[in-house]
Amino acid sequence: MSRWVLKGLQTGIVTTRYPGGEEGAPGISPGIPQDMVCSGSHAEALALRCPTAALQREKDQISVLRERCVHCYRCARGITKPIQWERGFEWARIRSDAVVFPKAFQQSLHIRVIDAGDCGACLHEVKLMNNPFYNMHRLGFFITPTPRKADILLVVGPVTDHMKRAMLKAYEAMPEPRRVMAVGACALSGGVFGPGFVTGSGVGDVLSVDLVIPGCPPPPLAILHGLLTITGRKMALQDDKPAVPGGGT
Amino acid sequence: MTDPGFLLTITFVLYFLGIAAVLWLPEKMTAPALAGFGGLGSLLLLVTGGDALFSSSTFHSTLWAIPGIGDLTISIDYLSAFFLVVTALVALPAVIFAAARIADEQWCHPGYRAALYLGLLIAIPLVVISADVFLFLVAWEVMSILIYLLVNSGHSERPGYLMLAIGEAGTLAVLLAFLLLAGTSGTLSFAELKVSGLSLGPGLRWVIFILSFAGFGVKGGLIPMNFWIPRAYTAAPNAFIPLIAGATLNMGLYGIIRVNTDLLPITQAGPGITMLIIGSVTALIGILYATIEDDFKTLLAHSSIENAGIITAALGAGVLFLATGHRVAAAMALLAALYHLLNHSIFKTLLFMGAGVVEEAAGTRSLDRMGGLLKRMPWTGFFMLVGVLSIAAMPPFNGFVSEWLTLESLLRSTELTSLGIKIAFVVAGVALALTAGLAVTCFVRAFAMGFLGMPRSEAARSTHETRSSALRPMALLALACLAFGVLPTYVIPAVDRVVAPLTGASATRALVPPFFEDSAPVSELPQKFASEFHDLGAQLGHSTMPGRGLAVIHRGGEKNPVVFAMSTSYMFVTLILLLGVCAGVVWLVVVRRRKTVRRPRWDGGVRHLMPEMTYTATGFAQPVRVVFEAILRPQIVDRRETIAKYFRVAIQQERKEIHLVDRLVLHPLAVTAQWIASSLARMHHGQINAYAGYALLVLVLFLVIASTT
Repeated sequence: MSRWVLKGLQTGIVTTRYPGGEEGAPGISPGIPQDMVCSGSHAEALALRCPTAALQREKDQISVLRERCVHCYRCARGITKPIQWERGFEWARIRSDAVVFPKAFQQSLHIRVIDAGDCGACLHEVKLMNNPFYNMHRLGFFITPTPRKADILLVVGPVTDHMKRAMLKAYEAMPEPRRVMAVGACALSGGVFGPGFVTGSGVGDVLSVDLVIPGCPPPPLAILHGLLTITGRKMALQDDKPAVPGGGT
Repeated sequence: MTDPGFLLTITFVLYFLGIAAVLWLPEKMTAPALAGFGGLGSLLLLVTGGDALFSSSTFHSTLWAIPGIGDLTISIDYLSAFFLVVTALVALPAVIFAAARIADEQWCHPGYRAALYLGLLIAIPLVVISADVFLFLVAWEVMSILIYLLVNSGHSERPGYLMLAIGEAGTLAVLLAFLLLAGTSGTLSFAELKVSGLSLGPGLRWVIFILSFAGFGVKGGLIPMNFWIPRAYTAAPNAFIPLIAGATLNMGLYGIIRVNTDLLPITQAGPGITMLIIGSVTALIGILYATIEDDFKTLLAHSSIENAGIITAALGAGVLFLATGHRVAAAMALLAALYHLLNHSIFKTLLFMGAGVVEEAAGTRSLDRMGGLLKRMPWTGFFMLVGVLSIAAMPPFNGFVSEWLTLESLLRSTELTSLGIKIAFVVAGVALALTAGLAVTCFVRAFAMGFLGMPRSEAARSTHETRSSALRPMALLALACLAFGVLPTYVIPAVDRVVAPLTGASATRALVPPFFEDSAPVSELPQKFASEFHDLGAQLGHSTMPGRGLAVIHRGGEKNPVVFAMSTSYMFVTLILLLGVCAGVVWLVVVRRRKTVRRPRWDGGVRHLMPEMTYTATGFAQPVRVVFEAILRPQIVDRRETIAKYFRVAIQQERKEIHLVDRLVLHPLAVTAQWIASSLARMHHGQINAYAGYALLVLVLFLVIASTT
């Protein structure tokens, strides 16, 4: 006989309290670097250390393009004056022209996930939202296999040429109101892949993106935060930075 | 009331006139003559049967007295009348359909085929009305040979020979059974056999039961003598198969009923158990092979076997109930059997018509190569949908009613006392429930793979709707499917007229309570029970509707006071009302007020959705194939690998399921026959000396025998 009932009772509730309370478990987020002011030569050195050109130097000012950061920690480790890292996960931003969902969607939002050529990491994090710890169903978010019932298109990956048509078809098949959500560095900027000979530089090339979630991969709570934002259940943080200039590394 | 003899004479004269007409009139008159004379004759046959079913007296007539053999007599009792009605109901649309198709078959002069067909229409009623062994066997043989000729008029000959061979073996068994039956009394008339049957010993009755059950079971499609059915039904021309499948299968079941419930009194439980178990196993095996079959006509043939099994199981239940003295339950079970027989004839005829039309239009019988036919053949598709829903026992169509009645009468077995009989009932109930489930799978598959989706072959892409002359008979049968489904409370009293004399109890009183009658509606029912149903509105419409009610309500016996209730009539009305209300609300609230946006179909994001990407019939049945692998025992007959350079790029595998009966019965039979033949052949080695030796040996043997006696 399996003892899963007893075991379950012994384990108790493990689900995170977010968004009702704080979630501070170690390792819940890889963190993301923050803007910094330092000497010009140091800024130059820091910017050179970044493999994805996420650190943009302007005189003695370093600004972080979160869309590009892949959490490699080269700006945090092995250097004398490391950059400050933010430990949170509320990174989701709404594009300035995007509108949050009407109130009716707050309790039930159906998500169609499209893997547009990702390495598997972002997809894995999306999958993790289904597990008992994150449990997105308690918040009324559901994955659906058919875009006909989907409200939001969640794209991971830099959008390879082969997946472009499929993504557009899925978007076409979705009923109004519909939103597009780009998850991960690749979907936002092409990440470490693109633009290349088979990929573009993210979803923005093909569709107008409403919600961006940086990270490589973004932790599940960051994605949850994004979903809460687009449904208007968390204060929407507008993405006021200019669009990423093209050209990766 | 007209004299049945007169009606019958006119019917047969019409059929014979039809034969003369199709043989001697010019070829272009064949179809109208067949449809005209055959249709009129069938209509008259329907009137004759209906008249006899509702009349109070039994028609009996002696045709001809043959010295030395006895009188050739015919009689129309209620059982015969019922089978006449069923035959006529099937024959009327079938003959019109055959007339529409007869020119399509390229075998010989269409007149000959039409004549054979009309001959079959004469032979089937003759089997049913013959009241002595001699006439019965003559009619039976004529029918068998005509079926053989009609089946063989297709392209393939082997299935016809197989059918004839196994059919003759069955007839031999039937002949032996009749001889044993008649042996004690020395008469051939059914009426006298019925009297002499009372004095037979239990052992002899067992032998007669086994012989007649096996013999008639050949025609009735019962395991293990049914291997000819899928082959012959598939090979038979499309014009003739509706009648062959719809009417002649019944004759085997008619024989079983006639001999084992009418001629022989039911006193033993053994035959009942045998029928119950064989029937349910037949049903399960039949539907299992139907579910995995790719060929549309073979699928329908396997499903005929399944339905014959269900009917036989219900018959067996009836016999068992009678043997144990539960007359009402027996009446219900027999009624369920006959009702299902009627329904099966109707929808199987319809389905075979559709299969023929589809084969002609799509150029294939393979479900894997069809698809998307509904768009191109909307009417055929619609009638097929009705047939498929009926055969899958979906309310409100007729298959549902009779399968409901069958399963419900099996539930009455809780009142029995013998443990062995109860176990038999449980086994049969489980098998039949599984059968019902598989039947839904099977016919969802048959319809969806044939008519929905995308066309999976060039031929399926270029089909078009068939002629209206072939559609009209299908419409008639589809209407019958609905009528027998939504009006069971009117059919049950009619069928009950057949069952009541056999069992001595009325199933109508048990199944259709007189709720419509104002005065004393409770006399036949417990007061509380009746008043509760009165409150529920079971008497609704008693002032406007004729008859006893629209709900089939049955109360179990003392040990299981459970109420079984079902009303397809109310269900049908409610269904239409609900659908209407829903459609109205949707139209008012959504469609009228909001803008409709049309977007392309979601195809999974592929570049082009191609037929190769969609489900095939084989793929759809794969789960069933895997689950029942132990029974099906698939064999890999061919496996090819395509290797390009260093990689295996494709594996092609052909698996074949040899039918269980072929494997366990037909193959050993063939091997044994060959072994006997080859053993005998060893004597025929061509040496003249040895042959002279044989002659000498025989001579010596005779001399020895002669000298000793």
